[in-house]
Amino acid sequence: MSNGYFGSDIRKKIFNTIIVLTLLVMIGKLYQLQLVYQDEWGKKSRDNSVRTILSEPVRGLMYDRRGRLIVDNRPSYTVTVTPREFRDEIIPDLAKLLNLDEQVLTNRIQRARSWSRFVPSKIHRDVDYKVIVHLEENRHRYPGVGYVVEAKRHYNSRARMSHVLGYTKEISERQLSQMPDAYRPGDVIGSAGIEASYENVLRGERGFEYVVVNSWGQFVSRYSDGRKNVPPREGFDLFLTIDADLQTLAEDLLGDNKGSIVAIDPQTGGILTLVSKPDYDLSYFSGVTPPDVWTAFNADTSRPLFNRAVSSIYPPGSTYKMVLAAAALEEGIINERTTMHCPGWYRLGRGVYRCHRPEGHGDVNVVEAIQRSCNVFFYQLILRVGFEHWSQYGRAFGFGRRTGIGSMDETAGILPDTDYYNRVYGVGQWTRGNLISLAIGQGELSVTPLQMAVYAMLFANKGEYHRPHLVSHIYDSHSRRISELSYETGNIHLSERTWEIIRRGMNKVVDADGGTGRRAQIRGISSAGKTGTSQNPHGEGHAWHIGFAPYDNPQIAIAVVIENVGYGGVHAAPVAGRLIEQYLQSTIIHDQPRRTVPVVQDQPSNGSDNR
Amino acid sequence: MRLERSQINISNGSTFDGVIIFCALLLTAIGLVSIYSATYDAGASLFFKRQLVWAILGGIGMAAMLFISPRTIEMIAVISHVAILCVLAVVPFLGKTVAGTTAWLEVGPFSFQPSEIAKITTILVLALYLSKNNINIKSFKTLFTAGAIVALPMGLVLMQADVGTSLIFFLMYIPVVYWAGASPFVVVILVAPFFVGLAALIGTTPLLIALGLLLVALILIRGNGFLSAVVFGLNSAIAVSVQFFYERLAPHQQNRIANFIDPGSDPLGVGYNVIQSKVAIGSGGLTGKGFLNGTQTQLNFIPAQWTDFIFCVPGEEFGFIGASVVLILLGIVFLRGVRIASAVKNKFASLVTIGFIGILFFHTVINVGMTIGLTPVIGIPLPFLSYGGSALFSKMIMIGILSAFYANRKDYLF
Repeated sequence: MSNGYFGSDIRKKIFNTIIVLTLLVMIGKLYQLQLVYQDEWGKKSRDNSVRTILSEPVRGLMYDRRGRLIVDNRPSYTVTVTPREFRDEIIPDLAKLLNLDEQVLTNRIQRARSWSRFVPSKIHRDVDYKVIVHLEENRHRYPGVGYVVEAKRHYNSRARMSHVLGYTKEISERQLSQMPDAYRPGDVIGSAGIEASYENVLRGERGFEYVVVNSWGQFVSRYSDGRKNVPPREGFDLFLTIDADLQTLAEDLLGDNKGSIVAIDPQTGGILTLVSKPDYDLSYFSGVTPPDVWTAFNADTSRPLFNRAVSSIYPPGSTYKMVLAAAALEEGIINERTTMHCPGWYRLGRGVYRCHRPEGHGDVNVVEAIQRSCNVFFYQLILRVGFEHWSQYGRAFGFGRRTGIGSMDETAGILPDTDYYNRVYGVGQWTRGNLISLAIGQGELSVTPLQMAVYAMLFANKGEYHRPHLVSHIYDSHSRRISELSYETGNIHLSERTWEIIRRGMNKVVDADGGTGRRAQIRGISSAGKTGTSQNPHGEGHAWHIGFAPYDNPQIAIAVVIENVGYGGVHAAPVAGRLIEQYLQSTIIHDQPRRTVPVVQDQPSNGSDNR
Repeated sequence: MRLERSQINISNGSTFDGVIIFCALLLTAIGLVSIYSATYDAGASLFFKRQLVWAILGGIGMAAMLFISPRTIEMIAVISHVAILCVLAVVPFLGKTVAGTTAWLEVGPFSFQPSEIAKITTILVLALYLSKNNINIKSFKTLFTAGAIVALPMGLVLMQADVGTSLIFFLMYIPVVYWAGASPFVVVILVAPFFVGLAALIGTTPLLIALGLLLVALILIRGNGFLSAVVFGLNSAIAVSVQFFYERLAPHQQNRIANFIDPGSDPLGVGYNVIQSKVAIGSGGLTGKGFLNGTQTQLNFIPAQWTDFIFCVPGEEFGFIGASVVLILLGIVFLRGVRIASAVKNKFASLVTIGFIGILFFHTVINVGMTIGLTPVIGIPLPFLSYGGSALFSKMIMIGILSAFYANRKDYLF
């Protein structure tokens, strides 16, 4: 029989061995998977089914100094697409509905696909409510299309406050790479104004919600009954020092002119008003800013996004004369009775320098020189005071450096000194003639409107300095705690006599006959100021006026500059007067700043930490 | 030696193999529990009830097999095989397509997979042929005829695009002819090209190891030196040509092959199921997450889990212990099967037993190997556990037949 091996014992053993060995290999693999690497697979299994949903905090609100709500949040509808359910055939319809380019929509859906096929991705922000209603009513026609409700900024005040408040923007790739832990793609971040400088305060902290999802990413249940969830911490609210009424009036008064107005509460350094014109409507930036709007803003030669109050530098013109007067009085070079003659011109070497009054001011002392803004007096004075002292006093008044208001785009301006001229012209290449221009606030001297407002505050306070700021209190709406911010203070120690003389001159500018700033006069209230008209290569002079009021107990210090309109006394002084009048009247009515939110506890904190 | 024909004979002291029946019923019960869990959120009762009906039918069928004379089985083998071949031939045209495979016929409310029954009848006919006394198992003619018996239904199943099942037809031929006395040389000739080809695709080092093993096997068998050299040469040629053609495939075709060999390289395609099933099983730990508490299972992370990936359910919800119990029960079935094959005096019954055990064994190895990432993804069900009525039914019939064989083990002729 040739089949001798049929079912032989050895073959039975071979079969049994193969069976046992195969089973041992499989059980060994199970042992490896389930017991050796259980932690690893267990983690993967949790990652699979437990999803972290970020709960975005509500951005902090902003109130003005009287507790009126200026900035809050409104719902904004963002359309999402879940690629797994989405069908490409509906792209044309959806593009039309969202008013988007088809190619743009296709690209966004591709990006969503590469991110996750199961999780909804944001496709288009700030969609009109009517579009959402349409989507809801025609669900079957838009498979995989959904929406989420997000928040966008909403502005309640008539004042635009564009440059004060600033705006938020979707975070850029570069910002994201700098702060990879704090932000995620698609987050919004403060990009200008207070939104940017108080980003960390306004933003709050996002929370986490853990949910169990199935393999399609659909919600199944809460993970551990929500015990592990971390609720978001809402952003803190800000109380601004801005007076919304005064701001509105300031914006109206500047109208279509280019220029800037900064008003400060001299008792605290709080900014009452900060206007830069031209400005822009913040609602353009509250939701999604279309690229063409960006392009238009960036192409606009009047540069509406540019904050003139802190970034633009102007020659201060005659408003700067008090620095020289202070130096001369304080250094004992002149006294109140020292007079100089003004025939209407001044000759130095081969140059002839004119006063603005051709027939001259005659013999004038320092008070009259300020009152009438006599150039010839100050031409002679700078030569007697000298460049060193002039620069030194300019620095004391805060020129040539940032005020520290906390705005990222603040510039320092230019305060020339010997080093500066040696650097620009070369050693020995500049003469006393260069100083003549500086005496009347021209030449290389450049200041920002904010610096000028601080300068006005120093005269109002007789040297007492408060760092200018926009935020006075931070309010935590969750714990109902309000913290007052404290800001650096200081003093330029000049003699009482010097302050008295210069302030008297400034008072006469506004209140006395022959003053250049009489159009800033306020009925029934004694005030002080100084006009200026700064020459510039772009046409008419920039009109300047700085001032404070009331004279004896100043409540407001102000700087106004209007570009290329002519004389400060004609154009800037009346604007300053109107604003001061409005503010003083309303403070009398309102008495003291009131807040709508009850104050639980005052907790001083260092404001500079938040800037 | 008793020459008289006998009915199944409990009275002569022989009994059914109760162990194999017990194991099969226990595995079926575990399968029902697993299907209930895997389909819990998709209306578990529907799947569960359907499978339960099939399990009851299978149980009745199994019991019936105990009372049908093995002789009867022998007699109806050919006729039933011809009938089922006819059915198989029409399936590609009348059948229902599920996941790309047209393997189901719809009869009333049930869909039915004829290829499951064809596996049984093919084994019966193959065993019938090889148990004839006038054949020479060593001859090429015998092996070829036996191969043709398997190749016919295998070809029909391939027409249904059911690659997994046709692979089973090929594989089950090997243990049957080996048990019938064929030279191990035959086994090497049949098996070697697969391993050599696969090794050639994986890399040069595995290929050299595979060829080395082949050489050792050929030397150990000590067969015809010339033939051995030819076999080795042919396998080497296969290896070289596999590598040659692989290099010349389009990149996407190369990818498809690479993904087949290593599913992990394609985590969103073929690999998705494998990765998810490894996550399910691996996260089960020693004792599992508990019935209906497996997150992978309950949250549908494993597509069509109640069919080919059913092994994840005991793995995830009952852990290493649960998965090992399933494997050990299957192992007992295989070992009992070999014992029955060895114990029965009748050659036909012995060969049928080896064929059935071969079917069950290869199903198990390919299915479980796939689920735990040991073997490539080939879609065939896990015996007794996977959802699928005709598969369960046919496997219970097999167990019934085996058990009846055992009861009649002392009869040469039945």
